[in-house]
Amino acid sequence: MSVEELSYEDARAELARVVERLESGGGTLEESLALWERGEHLADVCQRWLDGARSRLDAARRDREA
Amino acid sequence: MPDDGPRSTAEQPWPVRVVSQKIGAWVARLGWVWVDGQVAQITRRPGTSVVFLTLRDPSADVSLTLTAHRDVLDTGAATLAEGARVVARARPEFYPVRGTLSLRADEIRQVGVGELLARIERLKRLLGAEGLFDPARKRRPPFLPNRVGLITGRAGAAERDVLTNARRRWPAVEFRVINVAVQGPAAVPQMIDALAVLDRDDAVDVIILTRGGGSVEDLLPFSDEALCRAVFACATPVIAAIGHETDSPLVDFVADVRASTPTDAAKRAVPDLAEEVRMLDVARSRLGRAVTHLIEREQRHLDAVRSRPVLARPETMIEVRAEQVAGLRERARRTLDHRLERAGAELGHVLARLRALSPAATLDRGYAIVQVAGGGVLRDPSDVEDGEELRVRLARGDLTAAVRKVG
Repeated sequence: MSVEELSYEDARAELARVVERLESGGGTLEESLALWERGEHLADVCQRWLDGARSRLDAARRDREA
Repeated sequence: MPDDGPRSTAEQPWPVRVVSQKIGAWVARLGWVWVDGQVAQITRRPGTSVVFLTLRDPSADVSLTLTAHRDVLDTGAATLAEGARVVARARPEFYPVRGTLSLRADEIRQVGVGELLARIERLKRLLGAEGLFDPARKRRPPFLPNRVGLITGRAGAAERDVLTNARRRWPAVEFRVINVAVQGPAAVPQMIDALAVLDRDDAVDVIILTRGGGSVEDLLPFSDEALCRAVFACATPVIAAIGHETDSPLVDFVADVRASTPTDAAKRAVPDLAEEVRMLDVARSRLGRAVTHLIEREQRHLDAVRSRPVLARPETMIEVRAEQVAGLRERARRTLDHRLERAGAELGHVLARLRALSPAATLDRGYAIVQVAGGGVLRDPSDVEDGEELRVRLARGDLTAAVRKVG
């Protein structure tokens, strides 16, 4: 499953695993770079979920007040 | 029934008197019976000793005329009034002059309140055993009814209380009101009819059956078996509010909801609009806060993860390795420098030793080295011939010399 299709919870859990592996060190530079790129990507996906949720909340509030 | 005579035909019809006489004979066959009913009307005609009573079935729209001698009434039910419940020993009589039927009683007993209450108690046990009061059978009225059916007395306080309170709570509430007799002989049949009418109305999804307080006798119709069974059979949920809080006619137990008063019945039937709106607002704001908190919490969580050094400063990943490379490079350089130095020092020693072995210092002190033409060093004069050329090495240069033997 591509990172884009992950739910917020799955992306967050995966991000935590990536960070843990990065922090534990080990692995080749190539692997570390790939892990870091994946971590950044996962963090972006999480952020997009949160931004989306926030804008839906704001839209619902505007509808209510309108 | 056995046929006891010639049949009538179109050609040979029976005269009225024959038919009347035959009806009279048929009616008389019933003989003496004990009948239980409610007195709907008493007529004491002046100048006659016969009293006419209209005896009604309390549960159904059925009545009979009962006649009795005044003495019979005075003996068993001296204070008999309309609405009273009686048990009479009577037999049917056909009155040929008018073709009417009546019951002639030779004994009438008024049924006292105590006996009526005892009957209700027995009926209560019976209906209870049949499961008419079973809480599991009770249905919940809808939260917000389309239309409320109301069965109540005409223009009574109960009707006003229900309508006023229901509209105060939910201004748009719609009612279908059926006014009925709520006491007396007509009450039960009218209420059963009204229940059926409202039950058939698809828009009505809850029915309120109510009347205000009254005497024990006034409330008797609400303990009627037929009414109880009709309420039980009603597909629409029924809210009963009969009399005062302390009254408990049987229909209260059968109804899906037992309300204490007409006002209480209105509260059970419709929700309070203002209260619902307030709760909705509270729920909505809690909902919004909950989601906002959730998002904020997750944002903090995500920020925390992103601020961890591995994500916030990915350069570290490269820097660490660059330091390792620089360190190795430094070590390599130091190692090489060391070895070069050592090699330089060794070379110096060798040079010093070389220099120490050199003849230059001896030459400096004034010695000379004489070499023959082949390069060999001359040590013995006999090794050269007269006139032979020699090479002389001095401290500051060479010169050539010729041999001249002496002697």
